[in-house]
Amino acid sequence: MTQALLSGVLLGGIYGLFAVGFSLVFGVMRIVNFAHGELVMLAMYSGLTVYNLTGIDPLLSLPLTCLLIAGLGVLLYLGAFRHFVGRASMQQLLVAIAISMILQVGAQLAFGPDTRGMAQSWGSQYLLLGTNFFSYAQIAAFFIALFCVTTVEFILRKTRWGQDIRAVADDAEAAELVGLDTHRINTGAFALSCAIAAVAGSVLITYYPVNPETGFTLMPITLIATVVGGLGSVVGAFLGGIACGVISQVAGAVAGPALQDVPLYVLLLLFLAFRPQGLFGRRVAF
Amino acid sequence: MGSGNDLASAATPASRLSRWLSLDAARLAVGGVLIAATASLPFWPGVNSYFVALAVRALIFIALGQAWNVIAGLGGQLSLGNGVFFGIGAYGTAILFTQVDITPWIGALLSVGLAALAAIVMGAATLRFRGVYFALATVVISLGFERLTRHFVDFTGGDAGFSEPFLGTSLWAMQSRGPTPFLMLSLGVVVGFYLLTRVLLVSSFGLQLQAVRDEEAAAASGVNVFHIKIMGLVLSAVMTALVGAIYVQFYLVIDPTAAFGLMQEIQIQLPALIGGLGTGGGPVIGGAFMIFVSELTNWLASGLSVHGLDVLAFGVLLLVVVLRAPHGVLGTFTRRPRASTNQ
Repeated sequence: MTQALLSGVLLGGIYGLFAVGFSLVFGVMRIVNFAHGELVMLAMYSGLTVYNLTGIDPLLSLPLTCLLIAGLGVLLYLGAFRHFVGRASMQQLLVAIAISMILQVGAQLAFGPDTRGMAQSWGSQYLLLGTNFFSYAQIAAFFIALFCVTTVEFILRKTRWGQDIRAVADDAEAAELVGLDTHRINTGAFALSCAIAAVAGSVLITYYPVNPETGFTLMPITLIATVVGGLGSVVGAFLGGIACGVISQVAGAVAGPALQDVPLYVLLLLFLAFRPQGLFGRRVAF
Repeated sequence: MGSGNDLASAATPASRLSRWLSLDAARLAVGGVLIAATASLPFWPGVNSYFVALAVRALIFIALGQAWNVIAGLGGQLSLGNGVFFGIGAYGTAILFTQVDITPWIGALLSVGLAALAAIVMGAATLRFRGVYFALATVVISLGFERLTRHFVDFTGGDAGFSEPFLGTSLWAMQSRGPTPFLMLSLGVVVGFYLLTRVLLVSSFGLQLQAVRDEEAAAASGVNVFHIKIMGLVLSAVMTALVGAIYVQFYLVIDPTAAFGLMQEIQIQLPALIGGLGTGGGPVIGGAFMIFVSELTNWLASGLSVHGLDVLAFGVLLLVVVLRAPHGVLGTFTRRPRASTNQ
């Protein structure tokens, strides 16, 4: 049980990182980016490809991956999501689903359908603590996630850019009235969300193999972590991710691996029904 | 002016029905030709059972799209949970037949009833959520069902799916060696669903459903919004479960991914979205077009030895339709204002 709890916290850090990127885009421009998981998946492939070609660790090629994924994100924003800013509509969700399908097949055409991971990595070594063991990669992933979330929170709270983003999130019309270029700020926030996805992917590939469907399968848990933490709240999304990690690991240990996510689904329905603003979010109107 | 009205009042019940459903001469002619062409397909020269089975696949796909169109196209609720009802229809029919020896004709009815109950419970829990929240809630319910079917292996067959034994051509077992009986059955279902959609477009219940979609706040002054949404979901569920029962009798196997998987939930939406949301003919055109595209890309893919081209084509189609032609093929070419689903 201790093992399940601690693994849950470590795993939850990564879930939290997914949720932070996803939540940022939702909070600022009310866009449900269903293709966020695909960005993580492409970042995993980016890290893996660089590693296979040059032997450089995915964590060291992180700047390149961030640049690639953020660039792709800007293209997606300008090409599609731009039209839907401000309303999480049915059309917007469908566009995101379409993009997610296209990116999945794109990855399959580029990298093949099989599951691939890093053959020999520091991440596959284990740390023994009493009777519990943890992979170094999971521990590193947790602290990188923590660092990344702190940085994002710092950017949003303390920098001019972050204040602009928060202003647009609060009231896009008012922000425009006082002279902010909301279009540029939204593009920047979208790119930041993609960069966070790139960090998550680069960390994840050090211990978790990737296939074109990996991002898609991560999406439900990202949604749940975001809703539980509070749509639009960075710290909330991170803590929501940790809660999801702990719950799924404990449920997996108690009820078997097939059912490990079922309590999370129930949790999402309960939150939607009784506390739609999540633990840390503010009530948002659709 | 007067003579037209006189003609109408002297009309037979059948022609009055077709007037009520706005089935004009063009619709009746096109519909009649399509029905005759599909029903006679097995007797065409050069058509083998592969083509007939393909037509059944297309009709099943169209019927699922028609069912989804009721809640999403007419009711404006983006359900990503119709797979739940499909799965209940398919698993229910197969399990009742295999374990309890109940003929699929009865088993399908029982499963449809169960799906209606599930829709009431699911709707009561989720239909108060607006827009995207409803979509998210329904998709996790579907994923929950997927996990449960994977877990209870003894009951559902787990990951491998649930297979029915094949007993040869038998009316009692609702099984057939050749695909032709299923062609007739699924054609009948698609025609029935089309007429039902036309009824919904003009009937009191259907108009209330569309009012909820178009302007929920305004509809609330004259309509019990929550009640109407639940009724819409139940109707969609009943239709979907019926198709699930036919699906499992035709393919004799159902697995968790095919029933409740996320990709299945997405594919169920495509016929109506591509053909024209909230219309009678939209899902028919969209579904037929998609099966055509899927066969074409599969043929191309086997030439190029790559996989997933059909998913790529569906993704691009969906993107183009939503961004450039929100009223689908039908709405774009008939240039009439169609369903809006802004939430």
